[in-house]
Amino acid sequence: MQFTGEHLWLGKLGQFFVVFSFGMAILTTLSYYFSVREELDPNRKGNFSWKLLARSAFLLHAISLVGIIACMFTLIYNHYFEYHYAWEHSSRALPTHFIISCFWEGQEGSFLLWGFWQIVLGSILIWKAKDWESGVMTVIGLSQVFVCSILLGVSIFGFQVGSSPFILTRMVMTEAPIFKDPNYLSNFLTDGRGLNPLLQNYWMVIHPPTLFLGFASMIVPFAYAITGLWTSRVKEWISPALPWALFAVMVLGTGIVMGSAWAYEALNFGGFWQWDPVENASILPWLILVAAVHVMISYKSSGQSYITATILVLSSFILVEYASYLTRSGVLQNASVHAFTDLGMKYQLIFFILVFLGISLYFMVSRWKSLPSSPKEESLYSREFWMFIGSIVLTLSCLQIMATTSIPVFNEIFHTQKAPPVDLVGHYNKWQILFVFTIIILSAFSQFLKYQKTNTRVFFLQLGIYLVVSILITVGLVYLTHTGFNTMFVLLDFACTFSIVSNARILADAFNGKMKLAGSAIAHIGFALLILGALVAASTRKVISVNTTGLSYGPSWTTKNAQENILIYKGEPYQMSNYKVTYLSDSVSGPDTYYKINYQKIDPTNGRSIENFDLYPNAQINEKMGGLIASPSTRHYWFQDIYTHISEVPGAKEREASQEDSTYTINSYQVKPGQKIEVNKTEITVSELVRNAQVKDIAINPEKNDLAVGLKLNLESEKGKFTTEPIFLIKNLNILPIETKVDELGMKFRFTKIIPETGSFELQVLSKKPGKRDWVIMKAMIFPYINFLWIGTLIMVIGFLFSIFRRNNEWVHSQSKGSKKKNKTPIPA
Amino acid sequence: MKRVHIILLVVLALAIGVLVSTYSDSSTYSNFAKAKSEGELIHVIGKLDKEKQMEYNPFKDANHFSFYAKDKDGQECKVVFDGTKPQDFERSEQLVLTGKMESNVFHAEKILMKCPSKYTNDHLEITEARAIKPI
Repeated sequence: MQFTGEHLWLGKLGQFFVVFSFGMAILTTLSYYFSVREELDPNRKGNFSWKLLARSAFLLHAISLVGIIACMFTLIYNHYFEYHYAWEHSSRALPTHFIISCFWEGQEGSFLLWGFWQIVLGSILIWKAKDWESGVMTVIGLSQVFVCSILLGVSIFGFQVGSSPFILTRMVMTEAPIFKDPNYLSNFLTDGRGLNPLLQNYWMVIHPPTLFLGFASMIVPFAYAITGLWTSRVKEWISPALPWALFAVMVLGTGIVMGSAWAYEALNFGGFWQWDPVENASILPWLILVAAVHVMISYKSSGQSYITATILVLSSFILVEYASYLTRSGVLQNASVHAFTDLGMKYQLIFFILVFLGISLYFMVSRWKSLPSSPKEESLYSREFWMFIGSIVLTLSCLQIMATTSIPVFNEIFHTQKAPPVDLVGHYNKWQILFVFTIIILSAFSQFLKYQKTNTRVFFLQLGIYLVVSILITVGLVYLTHTGFNTMFVLLDFACTFSIVSNARILADAFNGKMKLAGSAIAHIGFALLILGALVAASTRKVISVNTTGLSYGPSWTTKNAQENILIYKGEPYQMSNYKVTYLSDSVSGPDTYYKINYQKIDPTNGRSIENFDLYPNAQINEKMGGLIASPSTRHYWFQDIYTHISEVPGAKEREASQEDSTYTINSYQVKPGQKIEVNKTEITVSELVRNAQVKDIAINPEKNDLAVGLKLNLESEKGKFTTEPIFLIKNLNILPIETKVDELGMKFRFTKIIPETGSFELQVLSKKPGKRDWVIMKAMIFPYINFLWIGTLIMVIGFLFSIFRRNNEWVHSQSKGSKKKNKTPIPA
Repeated sequence: MKRVHIILLVVLALAIGVLVSTYSDSSTYSNFAKAKSEGELIHVIGKLDKEKQMEYNPFKDANHFSFYAKDKDGQECKVVFDGTKPQDFERSEQLVLTGKMESNVFHAEKILMKCPSKYTNDHLEITEARAIKPI
């Protein structure tokens, strides 16, 4: 059948780019592989033909991958709904800045993002990595082959490889009857399914690219480690890999926190970390790479822990692959609502893991004998020993999260029917609080230790002073934040304070000249603040929307059911904790309805309002996404947030009915300017007659006897003062009164007649009957000290930046020294 | 004994502890009969009984929703959920209820529901609802 209106050329071009970039990725990998062989060959002739070929292949690969992105963007931007990706993830109503989010809502787009970042990183490495280029790029090329294979969407020997982003909608839904019509595009498929409203949030524009940059950059330290082992530079790889590892930790960490910021701002469960399997998957590689960074630094400074560092770096990237297997293979379907659905690439992802695991094992085993072992046992009073312990604790923390998150994987392998722990948060917390406590304490007291050997007297003296100071501050802090109810929280408060105080000491030294110490001190302070903020906010968050009406709710109601959701009627103030809340009005913008909720804090001594603000939580009834989708609105303060979200609104039918006249009482009055009437405890003053009133979008033409006259009304009631102006309009000899509405009072006004005999006017006042009022059910919470979490993250990033520059300078410096020395023997084989 | 060996032993012990705790904390997908006999928090896989009346009146109490569900063995039980009624609840095909039995009423603190997708056949959409307070 011939279909009209399709833009098939775009898909063909896109598919060409997909296949071509896949081919070029293979070529890049192979030629870099031979380039390494060429460089290792002592009899080589000095031309780098393989490297040249590899670079050209990489360039072509990069261009075609950008081509895929351009094609996908074109089909989403132009609403070509004949393509399944555009239909499933976008719609016409979507604002332009969210079109970019459509890109990574689907699996294919997010893999493309990953591939894109690997190209960027690859280009930097070609430019900067010098004699490491060939080896490192072989590994990155191989990873790129796998990423591109996921976009292929072709069948090889009856085995489906990948899923193409350019597949047509009619190919996916072959059964649907609409595709029997050659004009299905103009007749049926006029709009897309749209982007999930929860993703229509500014965090979703920046969180995925950051997260994927983090994931993508984790391959760089891995690639350095493999190259080091492969080209027998077993010790040298640590130096150039360290700044990259720090970069990956920084970016992935930022990405993870951005994800929780999104959860906090857009999801209505009221929190920032849920121990959801998808969240856990992203933190696994992060923990291991943080551990790796510490032992890498320890190796550089003291020659200890080389093997631990190598194993951790290699595992960190394998965990990135494991994370993408968890979230993208559909294995978590029963456990998480956030996981992607299966696109049939489970085996592809497993294969991906096995290949990289195989390569890592091969090199570890084959080079085992040449790996440097620790010269001697570390001293108990040395920094490297405690850094090693810290890395072990981080690894255990990762292992614990991985074990529980992998329950669905065990079910898959052993065909069991185990369910995740019922008290999921409790289960994770009981272990992770212990681990985080240890980590933070370690990050504090190891600052008093030096590499190799420390003077123990000085150490204990300093430790003692800072311990006492920290305990004093903790007591104050616990008193201020009311976290004294739980011993574990008090201990954690103390640990964070101790870490901040100890690292602040190092920072003070840094400003006195030892600048290279600043990075780690700042990062540790940031981390401690982050944990402190997360901890206090999560443990002392308070629901303030507690129902106080004291009604009885039937037999199944038990006393322990605190009532956290409250039902409030439009225009009726409700006393909630310290605040008087009023649902004032609502406004519709696109598919969203914004509910204007007014908060007022009244001073009980004199009855004056000390605080007055409006929040605009929104909700949309979205049939496509399964019902009510609500986003909270938050009032930010320095030391707390007030968070409000809508849990329930009247259904669409109920809303419509409430707008009809039958729900209003109508009263007619004959009025003159200056006259006062009272309706429903509202005093209405007719202030003046407005001749030549303006009516929006309607042209008044006096020559054709059109007429528009307004009646200005001043309204006064206990809910406040308002003005409104209903208009009496004659257009084309028809009388069309234009009514006005004052939501706050539940009233409508119509100017219906001019009575020349008496010089008066007829005014209809419609007031809403009680019981048919608009309402919302909302929930409000206070999150104290949550800003510590965000500020801590920011400080941590700054600390990492310092460290990246320092470690990068160290490497560049050692390179320039090395090349001078090695001028005559340029092969560092 | 070298210090390294001590560390190794401690790490091993902790790792085993982690695995044992994962195993002992994990639960099984179960039924109402077991929930009644054990009286602990448990996961029950079941279906909404669409014949029987669901009860939700936000004007009276916005935090109280009750319905009847049948587990895999066909046993029926009244379920109470302290929260707002999840959207599209009527359309659900399968429910995973987390909660505990109290005097023959199952109190759910979490409901995971699978609804048929309106767009693709043989594809289920999963949504989750949490009670206002853990039980």
